This record gives sequence, C-alpha cells and structure tokens, in this order.
Amino acid sequence: MNKPIIKYCKSCTTPISSAVPIELDNSGICSGCITASERSDINWERRKMLFENLIDDYKSNDNYYDCIIPVSGGKDSYWQIHKIKEYGLNPLLVTYHQNNYTETGMENLINMRDVFNSDHIFFTSSINAIKKMNRVCQRLMGDMNWHCHAGILTYPIRVAVEKNIPLIIWGEHGFMDLGGMHSYKDFVEFTYRFRLEHGLRGYEWFDIMEASRDYDDEIEERELIPYKYPTDEQIEKIGVRGVYLSNFFKWEANEHGPLMVKKYNFKESKDSFERTYRKMSNLDDMHENGIHDYMKWIKFGYGRATDHSTKDIRAGKMTRDQGIDEVLNRDHIKSKDLKRWLAYVGWTEDYFDAEADKFRDPKVWWIKGGRWFKSDIDGIERDYGKVHLNLSCTQNYYVEA
Amino acid sequence: MNKIRLIPVIFIKNGFIVRSEKFIQHKKIGNVVNQIRRYNQWDVDELIFIDISREKFHDSMRTDHKIERVNSIDQILNSVSNECFMPLAFGGGIRDLETIKRYIKNGADKIIVNTLFFENPNIIEKAIEIYGSQAIVLSLDFKVEIKKLCFYSNNGKKKEKENFEDIIKRITNIGVGELLLNSIDKDGTGEGYDIEVIKMFVDSLPIPVTACGGAISYYDFEQVALIKNISGIAAGNLFHFTENAYPNSKRKLKEKKLNFR
Repeated sequence: MNKPIIKYCKSCTTPISSAVPIELDNSGICSGCITASERSDINWERRKMLFENLIDDYKSNDNYYDCIIPVSGGKDSYWQIHKIKEYGLNPLLVTYHQNNYTETGMENLINMRDVFNSDHIFFTSSINAIKKMNRVCQRLMGDMNWHCHAGILTYPIRVAVEKNIPLIIWGEHGFMDLGGMHSYKDFVEFTYRFRLEHGLRGYEWFDIMEASRDYDDEIEERELIPYKYPTDEQIEKIGVRGVYLSNFFKWEANEHGPLMVKKYNFKESKDSFERTYRKMSNLDDMHENGIHDYMKWIKFGYGRATDHSTKDIRAGKMTRDQGIDEVLNRDHIKSKDLKRWLAYVGWTEDYFDAEADKFRDPKVWWIKGGRWFKSDIDGIERDYGKVHLNLSCTQNYYVEA
Repeated sequence: MNKIRLIPVIFIKNGFIVRSEKFIQHKKIGNVVNQIRRYNQWDVDELIFIDISREKFHDSMRTDHKIERVNSIDQILNSVSNECFMPLAFGGGIRDLETIKRYIKNGADKIIVNTLFFENPNIIEKAIEIYGSQAIVLSLDFKVEIKKLCFYSNNGKKKEKENFEDIIKRITNIGVGELLLNSIDKDGTGEGYDIEVIKMFVDSLPIPVTACGGAISYYDFEQVALIKNISGIAAGNLFHFTENAYPNSKRKLKEKKLNFR
C-alpha cells in the first residue's frame, strides 16, 4: 500500500476523491469546470423558448395546479417560484420538512408562502422516525441526512402521482453543476436511477428498515411511507416528468440571493457558518453546512468550502488562491452544531467519532503515530487528529512509520 | 425478417459508467449495478458493455455506498453478470485469448473486439474456432474525413490504413459473427446517426450490423430502423437522460409500426 496522493482540478479546488463523480481531462481540468464553461456558448434565448413550449403542454385547462415545485425555502426555491410565477403558472409547492431548519431558514420558508401566494404542502414525518433514521443512516452510510435526501427526492413525486400533477420543476441539477455529470446538450431530467444511486447512495427504504433491525433501533415499514417511490407504471400512467430549470435558464446562484433579498425580502443567515464563508446557502438545514458536511471531510477529505469556492471560482467571483485559503481554513472544522445533533439522537461525541472513522477513504487518509494524515491542496501533509478506530480496522490504511 | 434489437451500450471508464463525447470527453454517470437493475426492469433486448479505460484501473470511489467498491474489470463483469438477465456483449481493451476465455467464463455471452482486428486478428480466429462466430462481435470505430471513411483502433486514437473494401474483405475472411459500428464524430453529440455509412455496411455484409453513435431521441432510432436489413440500434448516453427512456422509446417505435423486438 502506498501513501495516498490526491489529484485536484487545476482550475477549481475540487479533488478527484470527490463525493460527486468527477473526471480530470488530459490537461488536468475537471468535468465540472468543462460543463460550467459550456454555459457561455449556449443559446439561452432558444432554451427559454423550448421551456415555454414545454410548459404549454402542461398548463391545466380546468384551473388546477400546473406543476409541482419541490422547495426548501432557500434562495434557489425562491428563484424557481419566481420564474414559474413569471409564466403565470399555478404551482403546488411541496416541502419535505427535515426537522433541522435554522432560524433564518424557517423565517424564509414562512415568508415564501406570504410573498408568492401559492398553495404549499409542508410535510413532516414522525419525529421519532426521523431520529431513528438519523442514527441508523449515520451508522450505515455515515450520513444522518439520508432521510432528507430520500424525502425531498421521493415525497414530491408521490404528491405528483397522488394529485395527478405530471410536471415537476426542479432547480439546478446539483451533480451536473458541481461535477459535470452531464452536458447541457443532454437536457437531462429526473430519473429513479439518479435518485437511488446519487441521492440515496444506493439505499432504498427497505435497506434502512433492514439495517435498523441489525442495529437494534427498529424502524417499522409504516414509518417509511414518504420514502417509497412510485412504481414505473404509476409514473407513466400520469406521465410524471421532472425537469431542471438550469437546463433552460442560465443558473447564476450568486445572483439569485441578492435578487431574492431585494424582491421578496429573503434573509441571509444572521450568523456565519464555520464550514463555509457563504451566508445564503443551505439555510434549510443547520447540519447541511455543518456536521453532515463534516462527514464529507471525514470520508473524502474535503468539504463545503471546497464546493462553494469551486462554484465561485467558476463564476469568476474568486481566484483559485482565495479558494485554497478558504479550503485550508475551513474544510476540516468540526462544527458546533454537532452538539445539537448528539443531544437530538442521544449519542456521545466519542461514539460519533468512532462511527465516523469507519468511513475514511484509504485512498485519501493514512495513519502516522495513531493520527490521521492527509495531503492537502497546497501539497502539504497535515495531521488531522486522533484515530478512533479499533486496531483491527486500521489494516486498510497506509501506515507511515 | 428478424426484428430489430434496441441495445443500450454502457461505456465503463475506471469503474464508472461514463457519458462519452467524440471518444475524448467523458463524464461520470454512476454505478454499473444500479443501471443494470433498471435495464432488467425494462426488459431490454441485449446489453453491450465496453471498458474504455485508458489506464486499466477501476475504482468506484465510495466508502459509503450500498454497492460495494469495485477495483477491477473482472469484479465489474461479475457483478454485472450476477444481475443481468439479458444477453451480454462485453469488450474493450482485449489483447489476448486468455481475457476472452475469462470474460466468457464470467458471464459474457459475446465478446467485443476492436484493436485486435487490426493488430492481432489470429487471436480472433482462434476465439471463433473455440466459441463460434456468433460469440464474436467486431466493433468498428470510424470517422468521415474529407468524404473519406477512416477506421480507428486503440480507443479511437490510432488511425488504421485499411479502406472500406479492405475492411469488408477482412471481416468476411476472419468470420466474425456481428458488427457494431460506432461513429467517433457523432458520439455523444446527439446529431443523429451516420445513416449513409451504416447503409454501406449493411448492404455489403451478410452478418448482423448494429449502429451506434449520435442518438438524442427515439426519432433517431426511427431513421436507422428504416434501413433495410439493419439488425440492431445501439445508444450509449441517451438512456441515462430521461425517465424510462428505453421502454418509452420502444413503445413509440412500435406505435409507428416499426419492426422492433
């Protein structure tokens, strides 16, 4: 076994060990940067027209809902609704409540209902079930937020089928935006495979139920209804189709925030986050920029400061050197929201650390003197704290003498 | 008349399914296993797998995914053949008979060769002796350069000297069972198939010809289906883009009374 080496994109700050599939080309530029650069050559006027043609087919003739917009109440949700209302459509807003709202995030959600004058389903699973899913999924896949991904990527589709509303309007395709999973030529739409593979890490509701039994933290099938995806037959009977607005309109996340503040009184976070410098992103979930994202650091050796600086470098808002500073200052921080999460689910910090360590990628991390080491974006090898694994579990890692 | 097969192609690069463009740009789509399960559910006619990795390493990169991390093409083939209910053609980077034997033993129903055809055709002949011609598919990657048809090997990197007539003669002499034609220029562009070149091959060969490269909608399949005696229509990227793309394409093609399986 050799000491791990991580390759980084030469243009942004993203490592090849990314949680989002990414590919470097011959010159060392990542697929995310290449896809982002396609945007300047696109005829957005034509795409706008294609979108107008598309929604024509879905406008309700009998004063019903024209589409569903899955929303968290964040700046991008605001922009999606803003765009759909511009076309005079009558959307049904659907929120999966993750039970992790920041104070500002909740204010924005409530304000959203006032300013857009639309019907809104605000769905909450049993809190007890949510807590169990937090624990089970943290142990099973190192992600307490599986239920959030599964909820947002299932519940709105269930509503589409139940209420007979075929068109679902998503915002941007996150994996395409960050990692360049697709080309703009593809006009990629929402698929079950994408949801399962990338949104849910391959785990369906029945896997969670099974794991919960193994972990003695049993979740019953009747607690997992919101996460059961409709069958192909149900989808095709209604003709459910999820399109991404980012394929039709040039998605400028940095401009959405200020525009929504000005037009609709959207609020940025009162407090700054520890793991990112941005104050307008991921407000719907206090762990999203926090301990959930810290797990990405544990697994893959990078975090939200990498994601946000990557986006801002591509948008020309930041230089790569500035990005590297943010990455080195923030990606490793174990954020304070961990305290809330531990209290929420009844774990100790030691137990959390030991569970978390099981997910460290041996192609990113190595061990030296009982401590984790990693090579950073500036090429320097740094010590990132004590190893919490049993000795028997450390054999997968390179050990430096 | 035999019914036309509609065949998804999975390009694998370093452990991931990729979306390919002109054989140069690749974007990682995801895991092999989850996609195969979808193809099973959709009851696809046949599947083509091609390993296009330049360096022969495979790593699905995740420590937190239900599908276990794979580290070799054999592991990938194993997990594929464990899941796959449909006929499976497998290839990419094959340079010796041992690999052909191993792939067949591990579940491939057919073997796809490309570079071997130019560099070491006697290995193909030996494989045909053992497994029969129906087990060997020749994959030909072509470009049209100033109206001249050119053929490439080694992942589309090496231009071969043979012209159309030479190729037809060699295909016949070696006795491969099937031809998979892929247009390098059209790959991943969504500009439609190269109908003219496909026609030339279908009209000149007695073996089944499957066309690949250029599809963006079922309409493109329709254009190929109109070629008399076409045997298969393949597409790599398209089936990843929209929900139920395979069954929906099939349904639309059948509604048009085209002769699909």
